[in-house]
Amino acid sequence: MIVFCKRPLCSWLIGSAICLLLTFAPGCDQSPPPRFHANLVQMDNPDNNVSPKHQQQIADILLAMYGTPDDPFVLPETGLDLQKIKVAAGPVKGYTQGLFRLHCVHCHGISGDGMGPTALFLKPYPRDYREGWFKFKSTPSKMPPTHDDLVRTLQEGISGTAMPSFKLLSQSEIEALVEYVEYLSMRGQTELELINQYKLADAFDPDKEDFPTTREFLVNTVLLGPNGPATLWKETASQVTAVPQPPSDFRTAASVEAGRQVFYNKGGCVKCHGPTALGDGQMVWDMWNESIHKLDQKVADSSEPAKLADLTAALRVDALPPRESEPRNLRQGIYRGGRQPYELFYRLYNGIFPSQMPGIGSTPGMTTDDIWHLVDFILDLPYQPGSQYHSDEHMKAPPRELL
Amino acid sequence: MSSISVGSQAHDLSHAGGHAHTQSFLSKYIFSKDHKVIGIQFLFSTLIWFLIGGLLALAVRWQIAWPWTKVPILNHLYAAEGGQMSPEAYTMLFTMHASVMIFLVIIPILAGAFGNFLIPLMIGADDMAFPTLNMLSYWFMWPAFILLAASFFVEGGAASFGWTSYAPGSSNSMTAPGSLNGQTLWLMALICVGISSMMGSVNYMTTIIQMRAPGMTMFRLPLTIWAMFITAILQAFALPVLTAALSMQLMDRLLGTGFFTPEGLTINNQAVAGGGQPLLWQHLFWFYSHPAVYIMILPAMGMVSDIIACFARKPIFGYKPMVYAIAGIAGLGFIVWGHHMFVSGMNPALGMTFMVSTMMIALPSAIKVFNWLGTLWGGKIQFTTPMLFAVGFVSMFIIGGLSGIFMAATPIDIFIHDTYFIVAHFHYVLFAGTVMGVFGAIYFWFPKMFGRKMNEFWGKVHFFFTFIALNCVFFPMHILMGQPRRYADTWHVSVFRHYQPVNEFITISAIVLVSSQITFIINFFYSIFFGPRVGRNPWHANGLEWQAPSPPGHGNFDFQPVVYRGPYEYNSPEVDEDFYPQNQPPPKDRPLVSEEMGH
Amino acid sequence: MGKFWSILFLCVTFFGVGTFMFGAATGVWLPENVGSETAYSIDHLFKFILVLTGIVFIGTEVTLFYFLWRYDGKTNQQPAKFSHGSHTLEICWTIVPAATLLFIAIYQLNTWAAAKMRTPMANGYDMAPTVEVTGRQFEWRLRYPGDDGILGTKDDLFDVNDLHVPVGEEVLVSLKSMDVLHGFYLPNLRVKQDAVPGMKIPVWFRPMKEGEYDIPCSQLCGWGHYKMTGRLVVESRAAYEKYLADLKVRQNSVVPPWAAQQAAESIPAQGTPEQTASAESGATSAGTSSNNTTSSLANTNR
Repeated sequence: MIVFCKRPLCSWLIGSAICLLLTFAPGCDQSPPPRFHANLVQMDNPDNNVSPKHQQQIADILLAMYGTPDDPFVLPETGLDLQKIKVAAGPVKGYTQGLFRLHCVHCHGISGDGMGPTALFLKPYPRDYREGWFKFKSTPSKMPPTHDDLVRTLQEGISGTAMPSFKLLSQSEIEALVEYVEYLSMRGQTELELINQYKLADAFDPDKEDFPTTREFLVNTVLLGPNGPATLWKETASQVTAVPQPPSDFRTAASVEAGRQVFYNKGGCVKCHGPTALGDGQMVWDMWNESIHKLDQKVADSSEPAKLADLTAALRVDALPPRESEPRNLRQGIYRGGRQPYELFYRLYNGIFPSQMPGIGSTPGMTTDDIWHLVDFILDLPYQPGSQYHSDEHMKAPPRELL
Repeated sequence: MSSISVGSQAHDLSHAGGHAHTQSFLSKYIFSKDHKVIGIQFLFSTLIWFLIGGLLALAVRWQIAWPWTKVPILNHLYAAEGGQMSPEAYTMLFTMHASVMIFLVIIPILAGAFGNFLIPLMIGADDMAFPTLNMLSYWFMWPAFILLAASFFVEGGAASFGWTSYAPGSSNSMTAPGSLNGQTLWLMALICVGISSMMGSVNYMTTIIQMRAPGMTMFRLPLTIWAMFITAILQAFALPVLTAALSMQLMDRLLGTGFFTPEGLTINNQAVAGGGQPLLWQHLFWFYSHPAVYIMILPAMGMVSDIIACFARKPIFGYKPMVYAIAGIAGLGFIVWGHHMFVSGMNPALGMTFMVSTMMIALPSAIKVFNWLGTLWGGKIQFTTPMLFAVGFVSMFIIGGLSGIFMAATPIDIFIHDTYFIVAHFHYVLFAGTVMGVFGAIYFWFPKMFGRKMNEFWGKVHFFFTFIALNCVFFPMHILMGQPRRYADTWHVSVFRHYQPVNEFITISAIVLVSSQITFIINFFYSIFFGPRVGRNPWHANGLEWQAPSPPGHGNFDFQPVVYRGPYEYNSPEVDEDFYPQNQPPPKDRPLVSEEMGH
Repeated sequence: MGKFWSILFLCVTFFGVGTFMFGAATGVWLPENVGSETAYSIDHLFKFILVLTGIVFIGTEVTLFYFLWRYDGKTNQQPAKFSHGSHTLEICWTIVPAATLLFIAIYQLNTWAAAKMRTPMANGYDMAPTVEVTGRQFEWRLRYPGDDGILGTKDDLFDVNDLHVPVGEEVLVSLKSMDVLHGFYLPNLRVKQDAVPGMKIPVWFRPMKEGEYDIPCSQLCGWGHYKMTGRLVVESRAAYEKYLADLKVRQNSVVPPWAAQQAAESIPAQGTPEQTASAESGATSAGTSSNNTTSSLANTNR
């Protein structure tokens, strides 16, 4: 029994073999390679109501158009560089390969849906790329960011959030990651566009015929349609908002004072940012959380919950609990989109579309000088009495004395 | 002065605890008040948690050696992200590895398993002073077991801010995923462990002071008992501070107080209650946790002393200095806690005072090592499995103790604080030291516990592989100079990238180390049922416990032990055999050497 | 078998010494030291204690091996020595280690004071901080005092993760934390200090060699603790000042880097005619002229 046979050496060998087997057997069982997740919430959204059969077809189409996380693919019409995407995709190998999984996946998720395992515990949630909505960019409203915008975000991070600065990565690594973000975003947008096409084809009938899968349809109608993902991403570079010259009294006390007037009057900032600019005005729903919130309410208010069973399940597994956003506390000296004056100009002129911060660039009676004065005021706020930078009273360590 | 044989006195003694004659299964084996059963209950529970803690360590080591690759077994949990661990899972794994090992394994196995089992037997008592309290001290561990096990399954997972749980990270939720309910459960579990330890410590102190057999003076106690006694005193004085700290952190988390969070702080975009100071947590925590590390080594030192004396067939060299050294370690242990905080932001002037006191605490440990060597000198050494582990303890403790001197040196600590040098040090004293001592103690006292002997051959195989593997795991950590602790991936630090092959070697050795415990597990369970039966004193040792039956029955001794000498009279000129039990009356026609020596 | 086990224990000695020699030979050793006297003093103390503990290690382990070998019960013919100890030996091996340890402790006090207690002076006064480093989950935010040399004024310059300091000069960092504990660790300078929220802690060092070094975080701060490595750039005073000047320009930039592309665009007609005119002229001369305008505006005295 414990002595497997009479000779110690024999026992020893058999015992060692058993130990080795017990040690290495667990490693033999491997999980399957990761796959992109479907946008279940939108598929099961009662407004869309994609049937299971067509959900599978959409998944197949996306597989053909974009490949898998380990093995990506792009159509040339997307304008994406497959080589760069391949550097960022796939499992981590030697730190030069699989950059997305090395740096990004645990927050942004394998599909770029902002629902990685860490996401639930972050405030605010990480970006969901699938709608193509981004906050900090140089283009207006619904347009995607430019390549440079994304590079800037990676390099500087988004201060005040969990998105760190990746400044210390090499330029080629940043390029690869940006390309991959665009890839994930375009894939998500394609999925939504396919759902949209399904709706347009009046396909509420689950027995309706299958999706067209011709290259012509997929490229011309889906990708390159008027609101198609490839169209939007291609056009974005030409949609960059021009930044005018600031007024001659920019960065003076007079300018700051003029900015204060704009803040309290025609800028309409007090409503959300509060009269003290501490961000204690009304809370706002950003567009990602709002859509989930509305669906939650729909389920809660429904008189036939059984019909919304799929949606309920999707909301549970495929969405994070919705949260309202607080408007920015402007006295902290934390500028999420960057503290350079032109960056603030962009935020004010274009607004931050998905956060529902309105742009004041087209407010009647607002001049670009006014906006620059407002920029000045915002940059000056942290140094005003009552702001955190002004007083370090809570910093208790006294200066060290000479020994 | 012949020993009193079974008679009415012994019969009365066995009823001293007031037990009924017939007991139900529940009260005999589950809610038993018999110290031996409680000791064995502790032993089984802690050994199971030892395995769990070891597996957690393997997951940690896998990530260090091969970051972001598919983790064996666990990759199913992370299949959505490609099978790789997520960073917060890593922080949770090392936090729980340490918490499990310290609070659910080492502290309970030393005091709970061996303290419980051995103290009454070694001092000649029939049970502990407070048997019901003793039973409760075991059952108070169960809420801790359940809470810590449950914490893995709550949202956010188990505690993930390190077993040191530094504030304000740990005292606020949303600083880390595990800082949700996982951290709260962790705090509650530790409070339960504290209650259990406190009950035990009160019991041990009282029993040792009050219930020694006639003739068992304090300086005739085996070093195991001295160690358990002084450890119990340590527990009694240090635990309240930990309980206070844990309660304060619980209040911070649940009641919105701000003991450990300064004014005006926002973490993860969430404002947190303030008015406190993060360093307060560190002071309170380390005020307990430093004596805790001595709680985790002194009983092992005591047991190792007994084993070495027995198998060197020689008295312990310098018995009284050994006792004073134990007391010295314990006493000094209360004034060194700041050495965990040299770079924490506390007043640097304290760095000087703590450096001096920490350097001095190396002294009693050194004295003990020299005395063990002195015990081996001139002996007739028997290389049994327990002896191998005990000598292994000495050999490894030398390394652990010497590496501690680097840490005591404050300027050097600036560099090695929170690096792998520290990890090497404490694993040497805790694993290579205490755990080796525990293994030795298990092999040594197994016959007394179960009436059968463990297999010597497989015990030696266990020792051989464990000894080699643990040195291969922990010694190379000393040369990973500056590599930070608690890093899921060191690649981001360019100056340490070339350490990676060493990290891989360590992980492979760790896998070998954990697998070598399979021999022990099989040996242990097999021997309980099928091991060769033994009599009362298979090792020919001197202690009183070897005079009781194997295993001892209810009431332990079937006679009234009377003690005439210390426990280390091996190869005494007074008798022909090479051992001389404590309760054996001296021969009438030989000079009483032991009395001359004052033992 | 006793001999076999004795040899096994002897192997510990060889393995221990061998591992350290392996480390020193293959570069798995102390990182390059580019600090000044204090940093070198730390390394010197490390090596001193290594030699001292090495001697004790070899001595005790070899003694252990010898006793196991010589006094193996199966081969030792002599009776066991019935000794309970030696008072003389106890005194010896109490006093000698105590004196040694006390000596080591006192020997190091000066280095500790230099590293942590004697804040640097400049011109007879407490030196002003060179930079304020704030740890936050999970990056190092930097704030330089700007032209006026005072932290907390409007001309402060901000950066993240990329700390520049001049070579050969004393650097004083004012260390803060925005959220939880972090650890400011410069391995190549032998500097380490925890950043505690609610405290402002001075950290000083003098880097003596140009180059790029790491700033890992050395106190567990959450899931991103491992990722929080910044970069320390030690450069000549001229390069350092140029870096600060570039940072100032960038921070006050009213023209995005891709302004050349904007030349063709013009914003919808709004505001004063001068505004539109200046917009066009500004857009076409994107680059130096607008930067000059910006910097001259930023230099306006307030």
